[in-house]
Amino acid sequence: MSENNEQRDEHGHDDGHHVNYFKIYLILLVLFGISVIGPEVGAVTGLRWITLITAFGIAFVKARLVVNNFMHLAWEQRIAKWLLASSLILLLLFVAGVAPDVMNHEGNNWENVAAKQAVERGLAAASGYSEEEAESEGPLEGVIASGFSAQNSFGQICATCHGVGGEGDGAAGAALDPAPASFIDPVFWQGRDRDRIITVIRDGAAAVGGSALMAPWGALYTDDQLEQMADYVMSFRPNQ
Amino acid sequence: MAHARPIATTRSATGIPTPRLAIWWILASEVVIFGGLLGAYLMHRIGHPEWAEAASHTQTWIGAVNTFVLLTSSFTAVLAHQAAEKGKGKEAAKLLAFTILGALTFLMIKSYEWTIEIMAGYTITANTFWSFYYTAAGLHALHVIAGAIIMGFIAVDAYRGRELHRVEIIGIYWHFVDVVWIFLFPLLYIAK
Repeated sequence: MSENNEQRDEHGHDDGHHVNYFKIYLILLVLFGISVIGPEVGAVTGLRWITLITAFGIAFVKARLVVNNFMHLAWEQRIAKWLLASSLILLLLFVAGVAPDVMNHEGNNWENVAAKQAVERGLAAASGYSEEEAESEGPLEGVIASGFSAQNSFGQICATCHGVGGEGDGAAGAALDPAPASFIDPVFWQGRDRDRIITVIRDGAAAVGGSALMAPWGALYTDDQLEQMADYVMSFRPNQ
Repeated sequence: MAHARPIATTRSATGIPTPRLAIWWILASEVVIFGGLLGAYLMHRIGHPEWAEAASHTQTWIGAVNTFVLLTSSFTAVLAHQAAEKGKGKEAAKLLAFTILGALTFLMIKSYEWTIEIMAGYTITANTFWSFYYTAAGLHALHVIAGAIIMGFIAVDAYRGRELHRVEIIGIYWHFVDVVWIFLFPLLYIAK
């Protein structure tokens, strides 16, 4: 930590340590205010150093004020300071030793393939799909873990066989026999209602005597989400 | 039964009262615990530009309000220490009660925040950013809970004028919890 803290001198040698706690508290609040407003200014002006200094630089100043004046480390026996300093040094050693491997994803003779893929996937998700989906680790996890949308889920799971437009023309379904159902076909909807759609999504088509190729997906969805999925499938139904 | 104290509480080779030395030891280990966690987070954050998107979903204003709450509770904790030094047990107990109130406020705000996030699908398993988010803030929240409970016992004693030196010890711990949040706030909320 740096020595550039101007609040330090006034009680540096004050053995009675009469700290004006209220004053320290006010200074902390002002610094806190700057640490909130600073990054906003940094974002508006596009100057990243303003964000770094106001958010992280000020955190160190605040921590130092609290440690010295509230925890009274400034007046504590030297051994306590050495004790804490040893911990900090060990910590910095750990970070310095690990940082090159964690922060880089490749070196002279190595490559962190998983990390690179994670970055790629994450960035693609952030730009491509909706905001909620950006957190996804993979297509299925994205649907389960992040914000749910029937349309996105359909696009990621159902569309592989049933097609994005529900026409039964998804790439993975081309080789299937029987072919995946087309939801825009009026014939398909004869005798099929919302409850049956929900059952088939949840338990698979085999549960109602259909093809086992239509797998059960119940584990992916809550009851409410199942209904949303069914509604989305129903939206392909012609002449409604 | 004689009121013999364990020898360790009266002996002090360092010149530091033993309870205070003990809390410094605890904090020295806490530095590595929280430091290791936050250091790992920081390194991954720098190595993974895509985390910026996930981080943009944390609610800065909630984090800011909680920073204010903890700073204020640290202030009342140090005032409690000051009162205890002067032998004013009741005043120290009252100020500790305010500090506990701060801890409870902090935890209520935290619960509200996490509820919103979990309902929106940002759970601890959503991705590695959120794993760090919940682990770091959760470990910190456990410290807040532990501190508030211990402070309750100390406040009751202090009210009866007993064991006033403990007010300082719990205060030192509490300020440390505050310091950890001082770093968590920019790391999890400000750095978008």
